[in-house]
Amino acid sequence: MGSNSAEYDGTREHGTRGRTGHGTTGVGRRDLIKRSAALGLISVPTMSFLSACASGGGDDQEKAETGKKTAKNPLGVNDTAQMEFVLFDGGFGKEYAEDAVKVYEKAFPGAKVKFSATQKIQSTLQPRFNQGTPPDLIDNSGAEQMDMGTLVGKKQLADLTPLLDAPSYDDPGTKVRDTLRPGIVEMGQFDGEQVWILYYAYTVYGVWYSQKALDSLDEQYPETWDQMLAVCAKAKKKGMAGWTYAGKYPYYLPFSLYPMIGKVGGREVLDAIDNLEPNAWKHPAVKACFEAYYELQQKGYVLKGTPGLDHIQSQTAWAKGDALFIPNGSWVENESANVMPDDFDLAVSAPTGLDSSDKLPFGTIWASGGEPFVVPAKAANAPGGMEQLRIMLSEASSKNFTGKVKSLTAYNGGTDGIELTPGLKSGVAALDVAGENVVNPRLQDWYVQLQKEKIGVSGIGEMMAGRATPAETIKKIQAFADETAKDSSVKHYKHQ
Amino acid sequence: MAARAQIGVAVMQHGKYRFIVGFLAVPLGLYALFVVWPFVQSIYYSFTDWTGLSPDFEMVGFANYARMLDDDIFWKSLQHSLLFALLVPVVTIGLALFLSFMINVGGRRRRGGPVISGVRGSAFYKIVYFFPQVLSIAIIALLFAFAYNPDSGAINSFLRAVGLDGIQPLWLGDPDLALWAVMAVIVWSTVGFFVVLFSAGMASIPLDLYEAALLDGANRITTFFRITLPLLWDTVQSGWVYMGILALGAESFAVVHIMTTGPGGPDYSTTVMVLYVYQKAFRDGQAAYATTIGVALLLVTLAFAAAVMKLGRRERLEY
Amino acid sequence: MKTTEPPAPVPAESGITVTKADVPAGAPPEEKKAGGVLNVFSHGILVIWAIMVALPLLWAVMTSFKDDASIFGSPWSLPDTLHFENWARAWTQAHMGDYFLNTVLVVGGSLIGTLVLGSMAAYVLARFEFPGNRFIYYLFIGGMSFPIMLALVPLFYVVNNMGLLNTIHGLILVYIAYSLPFTVFFLTAFFRTLPSSVAEAAFVDGASHSRTFFQIMLPMAKPGLVSVGIFNFLGQWNQYMLPTVLNTDEDKHVLTQGLVQLAVSQGYKGDWSGLFAGLVMAMLPVLAAYIVFQRQVVQGLTAGALK
Repeated sequence: MGSNSAEYDGTREHGTRGRTGHGTTGVGRRDLIKRSAALGLISVPTMSFLSACASGGGDDQEKAETGKKTAKNPLGVNDTAQMEFVLFDGGFGKEYAEDAVKVYEKAFPGAKVKFSATQKIQSTLQPRFNQGTPPDLIDNSGAEQMDMGTLVGKKQLADLTPLLDAPSYDDPGTKVRDTLRPGIVEMGQFDGEQVWILYYAYTVYGVWYSQKALDSLDEQYPETWDQMLAVCAKAKKKGMAGWTYAGKYPYYLPFSLYPMIGKVGGREVLDAIDNLEPNAWKHPAVKACFEAYYELQQKGYVLKGTPGLDHIQSQTAWAKGDALFIPNGSWVENESANVMPDDFDLAVSAPTGLDSSDKLPFGTIWASGGEPFVVPAKAANAPGGMEQLRIMLSEASSKNFTGKVKSLTAYNGGTDGIELTPGLKSGVAALDVAGENVVNPRLQDWYVQLQKEKIGVSGIGEMMAGRATPAETIKKIQAFADETAKDSSVKHYKHQ
Repeated sequence: MAARAQIGVAVMQHGKYRFIVGFLAVPLGLYALFVVWPFVQSIYYSFTDWTGLSPDFEMVGFANYARMLDDDIFWKSLQHSLLFALLVPVVTIGLALFLSFMINVGGRRRRGGPVISGVRGSAFYKIVYFFPQVLSIAIIALLFAFAYNPDSGAINSFLRAVGLDGIQPLWLGDPDLALWAVMAVIVWSTVGFFVVLFSAGMASIPLDLYEAALLDGANRITTFFRITLPLLWDTVQSGWVYMGILALGAESFAVVHIMTTGPGGPDYSTTVMVLYVYQKAFRDGQAAYATTIGVALLLVTLAFAAAVMKLGRRERLEY
Repeated sequence: MKTTEPPAPVPAESGITVTKADVPAGAPPEEKKAGGVLNVFSHGILVIWAIMVALPLLWAVMTSFKDDASIFGSPWSLPDTLHFENWARAWTQAHMGDYFLNTVLVVGGSLIGTLVLGSMAAYVLARFEFPGNRFIYYLFIGGMSFPIMLALVPLFYVVNNMGLLNTIHGLILVYIAYSLPFTVFFLTAFFRTLPSSVAEAAFVDGASHSRTFFQIMLPMAKPGLVSVGIFNFLGQWNQYMLPTVLNTDEDKHVLTQGLVQLAVSQGYKGDWSGLFAGLVMAMLPVLAAYIVFQRQVVQGLTAGALK
C-alpha cells in the first residue's frame, strides 16, 4: 500500500529512509497524555463563555396566539397557526395518525400541519428540547423514548388537564377525562394532580397461545400451577415445548410474571416493588412465583435455545407451533401477523396462579396504556397539540386505530361495530373477566434501566436460562432495587 | 531525514508562513468548528448535571467522575472495550496477513515463472473477500443475529447437519460465548479490507528480496517473517490503529447494540463503553454522565493509539 | 517491479497437485516440499474463508425473494416462488432511488473535499517546521479517538446556528471535518516518505509552494490518496450517526438512514423479507462498483512501486 510502497522505490538505494530521523509517527504515550491534558485545560477558561451558548437555552420559540374558545373549539386553537406532530413510527405504523391529522386539517383549514414519523425519537428531538423549540405533539415511544421522569422533572411537559376537562369530541356533555379507560389518567401523573402524559394505546399483557394448539392437546388454559405443569408435560410428549419467550429481551417475562405475583401475594406486593421498598422482593409471593417459573426451565418445558432468541424469533417459533405459551403484550397479534397460520386462533389469558390460596382470583391481569403522547411545555402551539389528541380520542379515530392496528385505545369502548380479530376479541374478554383485578406495575415506566437491564436481563433472564437459582436471583434483584433507591441521579416515584 | 529536512527548510524558507497559513486555515477551521468545539463543550458537560433533555443544568464538579469510578457497569464496559481494542485488531490483522500472504505468495512455482507467485484465482479471492465491506456494519449485525439464532440459525443448523446435534450453543444467549460471537462478526466484516490492502503492499515488495532469501535457504514461511512483515509494518501499524479505534467506537456499538441480549447482556457480558454512553445519553436522560464515560473512552482510545505507535516504532526493522 | 499482478490462471495446471517437473532444479529441496504443502494448505484455507464470506451474503440475496413465514420456517430452502414484491416494497419504503442519489452527492462531495483539504494540511504538517506544528498534528490525530456520539448534541447547535441543518452541503462539511483526523494522520506519514529532492528542485526552479504542492507533490502522493480515499469512502458511505441528527429532512436522507429505518421497523412490523430486499438493493451498486474498479483500486494501491 501507499505509505510503505514509496519507500521501496529509487530512494531506498540512497539509504534515505522516509522517517527515521524525527520519529514523529511514534506518538509517545506521555506526549499524548500531556497534550490531552492541555486540551482539558483549555476548556476551563472558556467555560463561562460556553455556558452562555452551550445548550442554546433561552431562545425559546414564540408561542402562537391562542384562538377564541368556542363550543367547537374548546381549547382555543389558533386556526391559522402551524401545528407540528412527531410520531413514533413503530408497530402501529403511522397511518392512524395521518388519518387523525386529516381531521385536524379539515377542522382548521387555515392551519398547516407538519407531520413526521421517526423511530429515532430522542436523537431527533433532544436538540430541539434543548433549544426550546420542540414540536407541539409527540408520541414519545420506542427504544429511543425520552426519559419521562427527566422531562417532567425539568418542566419540559405541558399539563394536559385542559384537554382532559374539555368536552369530548363526540359528546359536548362529557369531558374527555370521562371517556377514558380506567388507569389512563393516573398513569399520566407523576407526583401530583397534573397529568403529563396521555397513553393512547391500551395494551393487554398476559400469556398468549393458540386456542387450536391447546384444543389439540385436549386441554383448557390452566388456572393453577399444577395444571400448568401438567399441560406442559402433555405438550412435551407431543414434541412441543410449553413455553418460549424473548430470550434476548427477558423483560418480556414480567408481562405474565408480575401479575402472577400480584395474584398470589396481592397488589401491595407489586406496589412495594414499584416503590423500591426495602426487601420488597423478599416477599414469599415473589419467591413462590420465581420458583414456579424456574421449575418450567428445570423440567425442560422451555423451548430449547430460547435464551438466544430475540422477540421476533421467539414469536416466530411460537407461531410455528414449537411452543405453546408466550408472555407478551397485545401488539403481538400485529407483529406476528406475517408468520401466524390463518387457523392459529390467537388467544390471551390472565396468568396462571399457584393455587386456590392466592390473594386475588384467576383473571387478574396486567393492562395499561402504551404509546405515551406528550405536549411540550415550550411548544409553540400547545392547544393545537392537545386538540389533535382530542381528535384522536374520538370514537371514530379510536375505531380507526383499533381496526387498523388490532389494538385497543385509551378510549373506553370503540369496539362496537367493527370486527375484532381473534387476539383482540380474546383481550377484551380477558379484561371483562378481570373486572376490578387489573394490575399496573410501573417499574418499566419509572425505572427503565432497573427494569430492563438489571431485573430483566441480569436477573430473570439468567434464572430462566438456568444459570441462577431463584434464591440467588431474588438476592441480586433486591440489591439492584436498593441501588436504584439510593441513586440520586434517578428521580424516584411512589404509588399515590 | 533529519539532514535532508534541514536542507529543505533552508531552501524553502521563502513565503513559507503565508503558505502554511493558507494551507492550514480551511482544514483547521473546519475541524475546529465541527469537531473540536463540540467535543470541548461535551467535556464541559461532564462537569454538570445536564440531562440532555432541557437547557438548564448546574456545575457539579467532579461528581460524575466520582460516580463513574464507583460504577460496576462502567468497569465491566471498560474491560470489554479494552478486550475489543486489543483482540479484534490482532485477530483481524493476523488473519488478513495470513490470507493475503497465501493469496500472493502461496502459489506453486511455475516453470519460468517468478520465484514467488500468487495462488490461482487470487483476483477472485480479492473480490470475494471484500464483499462484507460493501455492507454497513448495522446490516451485517442483523444478518448475524439470524445466523446465531440457536433454534433455526445458520450455525446451529450447520452443526446439526453434520451430525453434531449435541453441540447447540446458545451463542448470544450464553454469557461465556456472547462476547466472542460479537467480536467474530467485526473480524468477519473487516478482514477482507485488510486482505486487499496488504495484498497491494505485498505486490510492491521487490521479488529479488524473496529470491535472495530463498537462495539463503529460507522457506516461504520464514520469508514472511523476514521480508513481508517488516516491509509491510507501516501499513500494518496504520491499519491497527484504524481497526482499534473502530473496535472501540462505531463498529462495536453497532454490533453490540443490534445483536446482543438486552443489549449489553446476558448479565453485562457484552456491554462496551460506547454502548453505555449511548444508553446513558439516549435512554436514561443522563447526558452529563454519558459525556463523562465518553471522556473515559477518549482517554482509552488515546492511550491505545499511543501504545500501538510506540510498539510499532520499537519493532520496525531496517533493511 | 511489475510482475506483481496476480498471474493469470494457467488452465493446463491443476492448482493442487505437485509434480516434480514444476519445481526448478535450482531451488533448494526444502523449498519444494514447503511450497507444495503451502499450496494445498493455502488453497484450502482460502476456499474456506471465501465460503464463509460469500455464504451469508448469498443467503441474504436468496432470502430477499422469500416470504416472512419461510424465512423463519425453512431458512435454508430456496424460495418457492420469487417474491419480487419484497423488492418493490423495499424500494418505495426505503426510497432507495432518492436516497442513493443523496448518498452519492454527499459522499462524492465530502470525499473530494476530504482528500484536498486533508492532503493540504498533511503536507504542511509533514514538510514544514513551524511553531505549533506538533500541537496541530496531535490535535488532528487526537480527533481519531473522539467518539462521535459524544459530540452529537453540541454539534447540532453549531450546524443549526450556521443555517446548515438539513442541507447536503452542511452534511458534506461535517463529513469532511470528521474524516480529517484519519486522513491527516495517514497522509502526513505518507508525505514524509516522499523524497524531498524533487520538491526542492522545483522550488529552486522558481515554482511557488502551492504550485509545487499541486503539480509535483500531489501526483506523487497518488497512491496514498487512493488508499486513504478508500478508507474514507467506506467510512462515509456507511456513516449513520451524523446524518441521523443533522439531516432529519426525509427528502435528504442518505441510504444508511433509509436502511436503518427499514431495519428498525422490522422489530415492530416483522417485515424481514422487505428488509433483506432493501439491503441487497443497497449492497449491489457498491459491490458492482468494486468489481468493476477492482483492478484500478489494486493498481492505485500498488502504484507507488511502479512509478
